[in-house]
Amino acid sequence: MSAHSHVDGQLPHEPEKATLEGRNKVLGFWLFLGAETVLFGTLFSAFLALRHQVGDGNPSGQELFELSTTAWATFILLTSSLTSVFAIQSMHTNKVKSMIVWLIITILLGLGFLGLEIVEFANYVDEGHKFSTSAFSTSFYTLVGFHGAHVLFGILWIGILIAQIFKKGLNVTTAPKIYVAGIYWHFIDVVWVFIFTVVYLMGKVG
Amino acid sequence: MSSQHSSVEEQAKHHKHEGPKKHIIGFIMSILLTIIAFSMVAAGEINTTFIYIFLVLMACVQVFIQMGFWMHMKDRGHLYPIIGILMGVFVVFTIVIMAEYWAWW
Repeated sequence: MSAHSHVDGQLPHEPEKATLEGRNKVLGFWLFLGAETVLFGTLFSAFLALRHQVGDGNPSGQELFELSTTAWATFILLTSSLTSVFAIQSMHTNKVKSMIVWLIITILLGLGFLGLEIVEFANYVDEGHKFSTSAFSTSFYTLVGFHGAHVLFGILWIGILIAQIFKKGLNVTTAPKIYVAGIYWHFIDVVWVFIFTVVYLMGKVG
Repeated sequence: MSSQHSSVEEQAKHHKHEGPKKHIIGFIMSILLTIIAFSMVAAGEINTTFIYIFLVLMACVQVFIQMGFWMHMKDRGHLYPIIGILMGVFVVFTIVIMAEYWAWW
């Protein structure tokens, strides 16, 4: 599979770019992220257009949002981005064990973020902020929920990749997958930066 | 085994692998920007338009830092990824402007 075999099973540095297939995978993934950007952009624009359409007697974002919850979620996701970049660095220096450890920490932080979001949504539903309550609530759940679904997908994806690494080891075929999953995880974090800014902070301001 | 190890290290030196330092700096900068944005809102009683612009600016700066440091965009050979993502950003920009300033006029 590899373009050139490596003595003693040594990997090239930047194993994700060692083969044409790997390089194409990375480039293709960036184009996918461009499309993802558009997808989230449409959800953001819908939210921006509808965020004041609360209706009579329904809770507004200003009443619902708690900055401390959002701050914790942000901190957790930022840290998970850092741990995933550590995983990629471990991969570049061919330290498979530490790469797996960092990936597992990333997954755990992602689960923590999801847990916070689920509790937050459950609280909102208790306060009468359901999916079909108002145009604001629908666009809110669609945007933030879509991001949460991306986090969940990332967790499953990285989990499966770890299993594959255990089975097949780190080589020029599996390395691009890890690298691309890392980029995906950062992208989730980047989207969250705009969510906490546009949805929560601006919602709190009014 | 030891000779293999040293050759790996030598190559690593030759390739100039980045240490974790830059990523930790990027992390701290992101945390600082986040804290500034949150505390601005928590403080309250600031002009709404100003705080909107300020918050979006903070987010954009943070995204540039994260994409540069963590998504390796400042590394060489990232012209096509940059073009790809910029096309996405361009479309998003027009969509958001449309929604904010057009839909309710």
